[in-house]
Amino acid sequence: MLAMLSVELRKLNRSLAAVLALAAPSLMGAFLFFVLLRGTKPAVWSSWLQASTQIWAYFMLPMSVTALTALVAHMEHGPRAWDHLRALPVPRWRIYAAKALCVIALVLVMTGLNLLVSCAAISAAGALKPLVAPKGAPDLAHLLALNGKVVAAAVLLIAIQLWTALRFSSFVPALALGIGGTFFSVVATNAKEGVFFPWQMPVNMLAGDPARVSTALSLGCGLGLVALVLAVLHLARREVL
Amino acid sequence: MAAAIETEHLRRRFGARLAVDDVSMTVPERAVYGFLGRNGAGKTTTLKMLLGLIRPSGGAARIHGVDIARDRMAAARKVGALLEAHGFYGNLTGAENLALTATLLGAPAREIDRVLEIVEMRADAGRKVAGYSLGMRQRLALARALLGAPPVLILDEPTNGLDPDGIADMRGFLRSLPERTGATVLLSSHLLGEIEQIATHVGVIHDGRLVLEGPLSRLKADLAPEILLRTDDDARARTLLGGRSVSPADTGLAVALRPGEDADQAAAALNQILVQAGLAVFALGAREQSLEDIYRRVAAPAYPKAEAA
Repeated sequence: MLAMLSVELRKLNRSLAAVLALAAPSLMGAFLFFVLLRGTKPAVWSSWLQASTQIWAYFMLPMSVTALTALVAHMEHGPRAWDHLRALPVPRWRIYAAKALCVIALVLVMTGLNLLVSCAAISAAGALKPLVAPKGAPDLAHLLALNGKVVAAAVLLIAIQLWTALRFSSFVPALALGIGGTFFSVVATNAKEGVFFPWQMPVNMLAGDPARVSTALSLGCGLGLVALVLAVLHLARREVL
Repeated sequence: MAAAIETEHLRRRFGARLAVDDVSMTVPERAVYGFLGRNGAGKTTTLKMLLGLIRPSGGAARIHGVDIARDRMAAARKVGALLEAHGFYGNLTGAENLALTATLLGAPAREIDRVLEIVEMRADAGRKVAGYSLGMRQRLALARALLGAPPVLILDEPTNGLDPDGIADMRGFLRSLPERTGATVLLSSHLLGEIEQIATHVGVIHDGRLVLEGPLSRLKADLAPEILLRTDDDARARTLLGGRSVSPADTGLAVALRPGEDADQAAAALNQILVQAGLAVFALGAREQSLEDIYRRVAAPAYPKAEAA
């Protein structure tokens, strides 16, 4: 399994998926930087970093997962690499399991980068315009835990997107699903049922109601792991004609 | 000679269509086996079953005695494959692509240098595959198939995209492979001329059925050759030889020999009939069957010559 994981990580070298992993958090940093420059009061670390995490969990994470899973799957669909991979003396479930672990790791890295880039953007804006320089210190332990829960709650979303992207050789089904899911998540932000909607589960980690947090976290992570196992088994068993 | 690849009554159905129908083929060890057939005849489906990529609807396939359906991993360890779709990652270099496969095979890093040397790709191995020509990708795909020195190579159209020099190199390489490494080569192609120069054995698949198989030299000898003749009145000659199978040839007529009939004796008898009838015989002689002739006879009587060449 380690060999398969190492192969999956090496495939990302100079890939569009790797570019996306850097670009999405960087966009968040740029957004924060310019918004802060328009401010007239000193920034408060915790509120800005909380806002950054919220935007990430609400919109950027679901969109990034959609694009990332499509790009990772297309690395095999594009050059029709499945036949070559599946003809090798490697258990097929490992091929798909390694891909799933790799995508989850990438989402974790992107979420961490979002936090890091946000810190850098707040500091840079404060250095350029001392009026908005942040006061106090960020509660990093709390933010790391919060971002960790965001990624854990996103596992179901990742599983659904990856399953679709690997199953269909065309970009269209995975992109339509991801865009549709994010759209409904945005337009139905206040719906109580949103806690059961995979695209809204990550942002529910920032909800004030602890019941919503625990429901979204257990469903997103628990069902997500079940969905990943089912996806791996299904993809490993099916014939790629 | 033991079989490196063996199938028994192999079948594969796609819905109502039987793509491979009762194929029992034997590829002897150290043979270069040319697998021939038109597009859609069942070649790729058969190769995919041999690689364990699709499951047979019936029958069995074995690689060096290992049943693919029962132990795909053990069978896959014995096979290196070059597939029509190369499946390279364009963002990686040639060497990096090989390194991925080497890692999964558990092959040492020096294997990469060895196979790059064989296909003469060392100089370009550090370039990204996205910038490779089709011929370079084909060579790299062959290098990847050779990783770990598998005893069986399954090659789908290995000369695709190669320039004439590349084709000649590939031909020489494949022909010498069994002697140099002890490997068995199964290659599918529609280039009959190429197969004729490389293969020791051939199998012809038509409409999903294996219609001909055996050592190429034996097939050439067994399948009755034709007598080519040219007279001053070919139409009348055709009438005179009405008891035989006569068809128009490029110049004159082609008279098929009967099974077991000696070509020289037949030529003498034909000459006698024609001369006695008052015809002037300008040319008369046996024509050895090329692989294309054999193929056209058993699998595709209507196959246009230009395509086959």
